[in-house]
Amino acid sequence: MATETEDAHDEGHHLPAVEDWPRGFGEASWWPFVTALGGAGIYIGAALYLMSVGERNIVGPMVGPGVLVGSIGLFLVGIYGWMYHAFVTHFWERGADEHSASKLRWGMIAFLGSEIATFSAGFTYFFFIRSQNAWAEVAADLPHLLGSLVIINTTLLIVSSVTLHFAHGAIRRNDRKKFLGWLAVTLLLGVVFIGGQVYEYYEFIVHEEFTLTSGLFGSAFYGLTGLHGLHVSMGAVLLTIVFVRALQGQYSADRHVSVTTASMYWHFVDAVWIFLVVALYVGAEVGA
Amino acid sequence: METSGQLLLTVLMGAFLLGVAAFLARVEDWRSYTPLGAGGGAVGESGYGHAEKPAGLIRWLTTVDHKDIGLLYGAYATIAFVVGGLMVMLMRAELTTPATDVLGSATFYNSLLTSHGITMLFLFGTPIIAAFSNYLIPLVIGADDMAFPRINAIAFWLLPPGALLIWAGFFPIPGVIPAQTAWTMYTPLSAGVGAGNQANVGVDLMLLGLHLTGVSATMGAINFIATIFTERAEEVTWANLDIFSWTILTQSGLILFAFPLLGSALVMLLLDRNFGTTFFAVEGGGPILWQHLFWFFGHPEVYILVLPPMGIVSYVLPRFSGRKLFGFKFVVYSTLAIGVLSFGVWAHHMFATGIDPRLRASFMAVSLAIAIPSAVKTFNWITTMWNGKLRLTTPMLFCIGFVSNFIIGGVTGVFLASIPVDLVLHDTYYVVGHFHYIVMGAITFAGMAGIYYWFPLVTGRWYQRRLAKAHFWLWMIGTNVTFFAMVLLGYGGMPRRYATYLPKFATLHQIASLGALLLLVGGIIWVYNIVTSWMEGKRVESGDPWRLDETNLNTAEWDWFEAKRETSLAATDGGEEVKTDGGQESRADDE
Repeated sequence: MATETEDAHDEGHHLPAVEDWPRGFGEASWWPFVTALGGAGIYIGAALYLMSVGERNIVGPMVGPGVLVGSIGLFLVGIYGWMYHAFVTHFWERGADEHSASKLRWGMIAFLGSEIATFSAGFTYFFFIRSQNAWAEVAADLPHLLGSLVIINTTLLIVSSVTLHFAHGAIRRNDRKKFLGWLAVTLLLGVVFIGGQVYEYYEFIVHEEFTLTSGLFGSAFYGLTGLHGLHVSMGAVLLTIVFVRALQGQYSADRHVSVTTASMYWHFVDAVWIFLVVALYVGAEVGA
Repeated sequence: METSGQLLLTVLMGAFLLGVAAFLARVEDWRSYTPLGAGGGAVGESGYGHAEKPAGLIRWLTTVDHKDIGLLYGAYATIAFVVGGLMVMLMRAELTTPATDVLGSATFYNSLLTSHGITMLFLFGTPIIAAFSNYLIPLVIGADDMAFPRINAIAFWLLPPGALLIWAGFFPIPGVIPAQTAWTMYTPLSAGVGAGNQANVGVDLMLLGLHLTGVSATMGAINFIATIFTERAEEVTWANLDIFSWTILTQSGLILFAFPLLGSALVMLLLDRNFGTTFFAVEGGGPILWQHLFWFFGHPEVYILVLPPMGIVSYVLPRFSGRKLFGFKFVVYSTLAIGVLSFGVWAHHMFATGIDPRLRASFMAVSLAIAIPSAVKTFNWITTMWNGKLRLTTPMLFCIGFVSNFIIGGVTGVFLASIPVDLVLHDTYYVVGHFHYIVMGAITFAGMAGIYYWFPLVTGRWYQRRLAKAHFWLWMIGTNVTFFAMVLLGYGGMPRRYATYLPKFATLHQIASLGALLLLVGGIIWVYNIVTSWMEGKRVESGDPWRLDETNLNTAEWDWFEAKRETSLAATDGGEEVKTDGGQESRADDE
């Protein structure tokens, strides 16, 4: 049974949203509402788009994309305001005890747990078709998967995890110069990786005519690499935010939670990529 | 023919929405609600003070206070419960005759069937649990608020658009019809292939809405995990963490792995429907892949819905038995055991699909095994009451009703876990009866126990006891009449999901509809009781309204309540009636 809790409530009730808009209230913020509006608008935009395609013609063809773009904008505005008020403004005055750091780390750990489930569905599909007799037919018609590109790209991503670890180590020692340097290298490697993925898509779609609708393997390949690509891009955005804040002079040996959480995310995405290469690229070609 | 049913539902919904609108129009001052009977925000740290929240409607749109968000979840779940309940009343009306004489169309019946399931599980079940956990968890673990108050707010605000997308098929949009896939959304039907009408965009809208509510549930789960791990007060250790928090923690762990997987499966289905992928196409992953992915989510979902209500019962039932929960540790262990085992039972939904018999046997073993921790809990509730000083208050009645219904729902479930029995009863009303004993007889009963038990805590007022008892008895009898008739129908071989049936099933179907009518009457009494009591119920006179101190069973949330009462009484110098009446009225719509 839980014990008495009055003390925690009577003295120094911690107000969560002091800085937020509307200003001057401790427990009010427009940002979650605005962000939810944008987020939900993305789904509604997708719905409107689906209402316009094919023979449906229920709404005009530009309504869906319009709502979609507007909603993404609103979503980004919401996220910006939220992150700004919660983490960026008054960076050095905010409480940065072990407690608030540990709750953010737990949040990221739980989120990464949910990400495992997100990726699992697509992998299950691939293992399903890979273990069927019909795979022999699919294998006869695979695109050229194991080339130099995937090896280079994999190397880039693994190295980026190492450089990010160096950056993280540097800020723990309060070595700003090295922190910024390694962070920049990581970001560059990430961007090159994304470029490599785009190039691979281009090669497959334009030159090998292997697309999302090319059959059983097309669904698995584009489903999984697409989902992973989204995650790497998201990771690059997170690292960019960290980088910009670092350039503004934020972070120190005592204050670097977002460096930690962004790193956890980046390492996770890296691990997923290694699993993906082994399962999808190597697994499709070897023993086919 | 179909339009008459549509029209009926539209009229019902319209009347309901008009009622809501009329109520909102009467509300003048949204802000002066306080959880106590006195003085709006007299003291800054109360969480309801002038300094902390803006006035009017804006307060509810911008709030990041876990108690406010809990109330929003509660209001949302109640609306969804009313909508889902009206849907099933139309279905039960249809089923009073063997032919489609009432709604006039089996297609409309199928739409109602689909939406009833989705609404009750995703829009009522998960949110009503979130209402309790949001309001109470920070109070009982001694936290200031949730770990991430803003994420808490956004998780709620994603739900209303999700509901709109899910219900969009019923709105008068030309060219959009409601999904008729049943809540399991089995492919190839839900993939929209073939001659049926399920290629309609209404199915896509429902899938998008479901995905959105899944994102919301996952955010909530992350928040509860972080909260329970890091926000406990110093004196709240793992050893003395209360049982409700344990069940919410376990439930959040299940959500974390179940909902995102469903989310991915939904996106894959959307891609199949609209972009020519082969995830669930017959030549690709096939219908069996969908069933594996769906039930890998779907069976943990059952425990996502039932564990927190079990937590509520384990929390409330001892208070009125005059003794502590018997075998507390084992109730916690059984919760964790159910959490782990729940991911190993999914294929018992697929015994009749022709999957590998060796696979089938192992799923049978785990499914039978999960009955053990469930039985541990049941025996602990019974032994808690054994020789106890029972007080048959309304929350206690609902707890006992929960245990009783859970035994019937659980025992019918054990039979279904056995392959040979399942092959006979699969896809009959026996299954429907079994899981409604759990979702209505157990989960909803525990929810009602919670609502009555914490009603004084939230409103500072008493509900009307006679009405509450009438509600209980109508529901207890109604539940057993309706769902036991379904169990018998299943033994007779009545297949589920049909709008029509052979005349020999008519009597049992009419009995089931009669039971449903009792449930409807009980539900109306419940809504009336809650709304009127919130507005003008008798005020709570002490900080310990359930007199828990007498048996030494008081808990943290009532200490908080007492402390609040004292500070607000002191601040208004004992003069209670400052601006409370209008304030109380103004908040009644939220529950």
